[in-house]
Amino acid sequence: MKTPRRVAWIVLSVVCLAAVLAPWIAPYRYDQQFRDFPATAPGAQFPMGTDEIGRDRLSRLLYATRVSLALAPAAAAVSIVLGLGFSLLALSRARWTREALSGITTLSLSLPWIFLFVILRAELPLNTDPATSILLTFALMGIAGWAWAGRVFSASLRSLAGADWLLQARASGMHSWRIAAVHMWPHLRSIALAQFRVLIPAYILAEASLGLLGLGVAEPLPSWGNLLKDLQHPDTIRANPWALAPLALLMLVMICLEALGSDTNNEVTV
Amino acid sequence: MTGHRATPLRLWRRILTSLLTLLLVVLAGGFAAAAFVRYSPGFDVDENSWNPRISAATAEALQARRQQKTSLPVFYARYLRAALHGDFGKSESLQAPVAELLRERAAISASLVFTGTIGGLLGGGLLAWLAVWPRQRVLQAGSASISGFLLAIPPAVLALGFFFLQAPLSLAVALTIMPRVFGTLRALLTDLRSSSDLLTARARGIGPVVIAWRYVVGTAAPQLASLGGVALVLAFGAIIPIEALCDVPGLGQLAWKAALARDLPLLCAIALLITLLTAVVAAAGDLLSGSRERNLA
Repeated sequence: MKTPRRVAWIVLSVVCLAAVLAPWIAPYRYDQQFRDFPATAPGAQFPMGTDEIGRDRLSRLLYATRVSLALAPAAAAVSIVLGLGFSLLALSRARWTREALSGITTLSLSLPWIFLFVILRAELPLNTDPATSILLTFALMGIAGWAWAGRVFSASLRSLAGADWLLQARASGMHSWRIAAVHMWPHLRSIALAQFRVLIPAYILAEASLGLLGLGVAEPLPSWGNLLKDLQHPDTIRANPWALAPLALLMLVMICLEALGSDTNNEVTV
Repeated sequence: MTGHRATPLRLWRRILTSLLTLLLVVLAGGFAAAAFVRYSPGFDVDENSWNPRISAATAEALQARRQQKTSLPVFYARYLRAALHGDFGKSESLQAPVAELLRERAAISASLVFTGTIGGLLGGGLLAWLAVWPRQRVLQAGSASISGFLLAIPPAVLALGFFFLQAPLSLAVALTIMPRVFGTLRALLTDLRSSSDLLTARARGIGPVVIAWRYVVGTAAPQLASLGGVALVLAFGAIIPIEALCDVPGLGQLAWKAALARDLPLLCAIALLITLLTAVVAAAGDLLSGSRERNLA
């Protein structure tokens, strides 16, 4: 293993561990408000200071890491499963099924992601509770991003479709689901993993952009996206540079993910 | 002779199929946007009907007007018929004709998208060129690090930084695209560098500018056309947070406002426009790369 990869693994492991242990190592609850200490500078009581409404920045950052790091892989998994499912359906012999799926893929790839997210996310009621908002935000990402994975799977499946072993398996009367699970999946596993590694950073960035626009995870639940909203107020950053900590952590994690997926990033990054 | 006549026929068939697919994709894109808005929670309720100052009759009339729009296929069919005559309806939130709003803002976004895309492709190309420079590990590592660093910054954050520094926002779009095309361009240049044509050209002492133009851009034109299309789509996506956060009165900001206000006519028009632009760009890239490959064959 090369040194940058080793360092990336170590950093990611530490960040993930901190996220998992957030309820135990965070000094306060993420929504605990100290009304007497709004926008406080860092000190012994609040190591990173407090935000505009008196919530501990360190605690919120730890919980935000938990939310963003847990749900981006989940959204990537949703995209992979949908992409794989659609690609398998596209192998169908019915011409209209293939044409319809090809049209849906073209449509999904034609629309910019963020435009889809903005429309889909903005349509949720304003009083959506935080837990529902995180599930819906990342589920929508997973659904909206299936086409990128689907296109790669379709290309791989098309190249596998004429293989001798596949013809032999079909001729022996094997059920198509068994062929997919036993014979095709081993060929597709590495592609699925590569897609997974490409989609995770894409979803982390998408959530950050949505959060900055106010359409990500709903308050008071923190995520990297909604913590970045402080960046819109330069005075806050000048008064407490720790407000940049979520951005620094997000960039660190992105660079580590980049280092781990460096063998797969010859394709256009989404 | 037959072969000569069959080729243009195939090309026309291909163009016709592409146009038909394009039309279907655009119509489906508009319909999908309309469906998302129409079936969103609370769409049937007109907020003005809650106003305690209006009479019961007015409230009923408002509600009835809202209910008229509930049949999605009917709304979409009427909308398309009017759109064919250049009437995209009236924005419910901005109280202005949609066509006028689009016309006012399109130029701002187009300039941001095109300058950003060209800057991104040139920057990505330059970085990729440095990354494949022979026997220069520092250059290779440096260019990959710059790309990785830029990729780690959310486009919206990049835009905010440029906004506060009062730097041109098209540079933010370019820096968003640059690392995203870097990997493809690096792989392309790596393949080209070891091609026999390029090695022969270098051995014959042909200058670097001619090599770059004829043997790199010329040979990789199909891939570059496709990549240009993808970069444009990425730029369309990037302008939404950039324009919304930096208060740029372009199409991205309009899309953002329309989504927040659930403005159905405006969202439909923007969805149609964005789908049309991105699908045209993708189809043009495919056609260009296809015809080029056939010519080479």
